[in-house]
Amino acid sequence: MRFEIEVQLKSKKYSYSIAFEFPEGFKELRVFEEKLTVDSKSVYSRKLAEVHLAKNGNQKDAQFPIDWHLVALPIVQQQSARDPSFVFKQWLARMLILRPMPSLIRGDSDRETLEPNPQVTDFGAWFAGLLADALSAYRKIDEYLKQVMPDLKDIKNRLVGTDSRSLVVQFSNDQGSVTIPFEDLSDGEKCFMICALVLAATDAYGPVLCFWDEPDNFLALSEVGHFVLALRTAFQAGGQFIATSHNPEAIRRFSGENTLILYRKSHLEPTIVRRLDDVQISGDLVDALIRGDVEP
Amino acid sequence: MSVNQYQQHVFVLPEDEANLQIANGFHLQVPLNRQRQMQVLPVARGWPRVLELFQSVHVSEMERNFRRSMVLLIDFDGKVERLTKAKAVIPGNLADRVFILGAFTTPEALRQANLGTYENIGLAMAKDCREETNIIWGHELLQHNSSELDRLREHVRPILFPSDAWARPD
Repeated sequence: MRFEIEVQLKSKKYSYSIAFEFPEGFKELRVFEEKLTVDSKSVYSRKLAEVHLAKNGNQKDAQFPIDWHLVALPIVQQQSARDPSFVFKQWLARMLILRPMPSLIRGDSDRETLEPNPQVTDFGAWFAGLLADALSAYRKIDEYLKQVMPDLKDIKNRLVGTDSRSLVVQFSNDQGSVTIPFEDLSDGEKCFMICALVLAATDAYGPVLCFWDEPDNFLALSEVGHFVLALRTAFQAGGQFIATSHNPEAIRRFSGENTLILYRKSHLEPTIVRRLDDVQISGDLVDALIRGDVEP
Repeated sequence: MSVNQYQQHVFVLPEDEANLQIANGFHLQVPLNRQRQMQVLPVARGWPRVLELFQSVHVSEMERNFRRSMVLLIDFDGKVERLTKAKAVIPGNLADRVFILGAFTTPEALRQANLGTYENIGLAMAKDCREETNIIWGHELLQHNSSELDRLREHVRPILFPSDAWARPD
């Protein structure tokens, strides 16, 4: 089983690969080989238990053994924030893999983070971390949210204890104003909030890879297209946005060259992935999906 | 809410999947603070159906909402007279808010003419509209749209690409 990832960061191409094997008599997988390169120059490579660190500046090549069940990437020590392994690891860590569960998002926090969990139950910590990293992020958050909720006035992250904060959202119009605890927002409104943070994150510390599992969930049908389009637009400037969806409105906001169809005949067979452009479809795509006629 | 019904907005009704992707590309170029003033509708499945839907659904809706404009995105299949046929179904009181555009033959021909993917074609069309250039619209497969395009630019540009819109990267 081999995983490979290539990413361009600040005009440099980072390539990371790792292969696992399951030899006879073993009870768990072991790492067969692993490699990180930048612009084709090795940062480190590894074969089974032997890690080889490439020569760096005045330092010599180095080798050290490692448990062959462990991945070397998090163990290799970086020298500075400019070290390629640090740059790559930070990019990996800041990937946004989102599968929000709005009913569990309360808006409380006792820390700051730039690495929200997939369910985004630590939204408050992400909000605090993002503003601590770049105060200007609030402008982006505010700009987007005022498009979708024109009566939004302000978001406050109030201190509620010595180390804890809690988000409240204020809405106002000519009839008056109301302040709502974050947890009382609707599921769809919480998704707008998450979207706003994603847009601000791409601005503040991009390029970011954002994978959002079914971004259409919890949204009104009339909102789905605009939601996806806002995300796609933000990522045109850099980074990558990947969404999975079964929703016709979300699917329609992508095109043949940037849509992949995933198909699995059974749980015992691998998932087949095909570009939509490479699949023969008669008539409208959504109709074909409803008919079940889109098989790679 | 989807598009902001209380502001000027544009609906695009594409004939088919290819035209939908062109419209998506165009929409991606609209600044974020104007994106909600454009809505790309589901495909109509054929140019006669575009006109049928326009008459049966959109005429009355446009009469109720004077802030709505519509772009009917159809294939001309090499027939210039299609514009006249299509215009014949547009009531006089809505004529200045309805625009009929499309490839002279089919969008596939645009792609074969090395103008890029459908989305990129749409992106280039929007860029032309925004920057008041005529790079892609001047292509031989699109230049028959010139009269409609002039009207469109005058009417739609202030809605989707106003000078005070947020700057967006290309």
